[in-house]
Amino acid sequence: MSSNSEPPAYAGAAAVPLVVANGRRARLTRALGSSGAAYVFLFPWLAGFLILTAGPALYSLYLSFTDYDLINVPRWAGLDNYMRIATNDPKFQDSVRVTLTFVLLSVPLKLAVALGVAMLLNRGLRGLTVYRAIFYLPSLLGTSVAIAVLWRQLFAGDGLINNLLLGFGIQGPSWISNPDTALYTLVILAVWQFGSPMIIFLAGLRQIPADIYEAARMDGASKSRQFWRITLPMLTPVVFFNAVVQTIDAFKAFTSAFIISGGTGGPVNSTLFYTLYLYQEAFGYFRMGYAAALAWILLVIIALFTAFSFLSARYWVHYDD
Amino acid sequence: MTDIRAAEAHEEPRERPIWRSILTHVLLAAFSFAMLYPILWMLSASLRPSGEIFGSTSLIPSQVQLQSYPEGWFGLRVSFGQFFVNSMVIAVLSVIGNVAACSLAAFAFARLNFPWKNFWFALMLGTLMLPYHVTLIPQYVLFLNLGWVDTILPLVVPKFMATDAFFIFLMVQFFRGIPKELDEAARMDGCSPFRIYWKVILPLSLPVLATAAIFSFLWTWDDFFGPLIYLNSMEDYTVQLGLRSFIDATGQSNWSGLFAMSILSLVPVFLLFIFFQRLLIDGIATTGMK
Repeated sequence: MSSNSEPPAYAGAAAVPLVVANGRRARLTRALGSSGAAYVFLFPWLAGFLILTAGPALYSLYLSFTDYDLINVPRWAGLDNYMRIATNDPKFQDSVRVTLTFVLLSVPLKLAVALGVAMLLNRGLRGLTVYRAIFYLPSLLGTSVAIAVLWRQLFAGDGLINNLLLGFGIQGPSWISNPDTALYTLVILAVWQFGSPMIIFLAGLRQIPADIYEAARMDGASKSRQFWRITLPMLTPVVFFNAVVQTIDAFKAFTSAFIISGGTGGPVNSTLFYTLYLYQEAFGYFRMGYAAALAWILLVIIALFTAFSFLSARYWVHYDD
Repeated sequence: MTDIRAAEAHEEPRERPIWRSILTHVLLAAFSFAMLYPILWMLSASLRPSGEIFGSTSLIPSQVQLQSYPEGWFGLRVSFGQFFVNSMVIAVLSVIGNVAACSLAAFAFARLNFPWKNFWFALMLGTLMLPYHVTLIPQYVLFLNLGWVDTILPLVVPKFMATDAFFIFLMVQFFRGIPKELDEAARMDGCSPFRIYWKVILPLSLPVLATAAIFSFLWTWDDFFGPLIYLNSMEDYTVQLGLRSFIDATGQSNWSGLFAMSILSLVPVFLLFIFFQRLLIDGIATTGMK
């Protein structure tokens, strides 16, 4: 179709400069016109970016150096908020410990289950789409209050899990009201939602050419060797993507902890996720400046994690070009 | 040589004994059941008499009674019907906003050239990673000063400004796959960029628009944090907030009503999932496979 726009081959030599000049002018007006048009298309996003994202991000950086209660004007406090967070805030320390434990337990477990199930599903089975749908469903329901309500009952002292255990003659603890176990119920909830990384793993597994496995089998490579030498290396870009996305999501987890602990992060701060603590400071005590400082620290923690992932990726992520 | 290899390659999968694939199916079926068991149990609990909920692990109620549904529905000062209407209004407006605003931005990024394009595109991708907590408090202050707190505006208006960058990203991926020749031909015929967007790109992009619409609906429907912050009067509550209030109001005493309302709150999600499973799964799969 683009060949239509080229000057016909029989065009006289004299006509060529004119055509070129016309073409250039046309291109120029087109470029100017379309860049104006482009900004019309971009306008909603651009306005949103400036008013709702970039502007607020900068303003929250400013607020993090102030005391602000929504009623009085923000009062400059210098580094006070950050100093208090660093030296004199046990709840901050609890929330960081809880969140890191949650991230470091739930993300690797979730990815391992997701990869294992994806490999089981990748054997050219019948009924693949049914299994895939069933395994994906919990991911879709995950952030709703209903699922948190369900979890609260599952792990209650007289809940479903303990009733099942009783069938085996085991008397389970009251998982949710026990500070030693409460966080693990949330880890299990997160792992239960392995569906979306599983689907991405499945798509990745499909991209691995079958003849590599044929060749490995010819050479007598065992199943586990095939996994460590072929599947996993070929899958590292997908592992990387899933790890980054799931880690960021895990840092932001909120609803399940809020509902299960009744908004307190208890018992004894054992489920005080960072986001829950931030919410308490901002909308419980209206310490907006302090909460803004907490938000910026969260941003830094997530950025460090992401930067670390990208830097380390050089050593373990293989892109076959 | 290659012929032999090809022949063997054909041979190999057939050698897999039947019992192994049966074993895989049994394993997967058992695992599927274990994963769905809690949800099925909640459904069954919502149909049981209240006293019978605890102590039972079976999925089949000894007697089915629907009483918990009306009890839960009218269990608060405001009925769940109102919460459903509120959630639906917010979700539908969010879908419209997201699809319209994100497709406009995605069209500019995928199909037009303009100064600073790469700069804005990089910033857009950057917002994908930005935790919303960073903008949360100033946004709240802004909406408070606009007098929007305790209305649905803070939950809906940002969607019309394409704040969900994920959808822009998804659409850019899709738009880039549409042959450039189509735009050029349309431009030759004197089409303005807006006509190209409306008449060429959008009709060819229905799958990705539908995917974005469905995800947008589900995420808004399930959202708890936004309504928790911005909605104060019970008349404005969404289903998720209604469930939370139900826990607070009735405590542990009305489990069957709580389960009944929880099940109902999942119904729209289930329905969308059943009808649009393929789109949802493809949408997830493509995000990880650039």
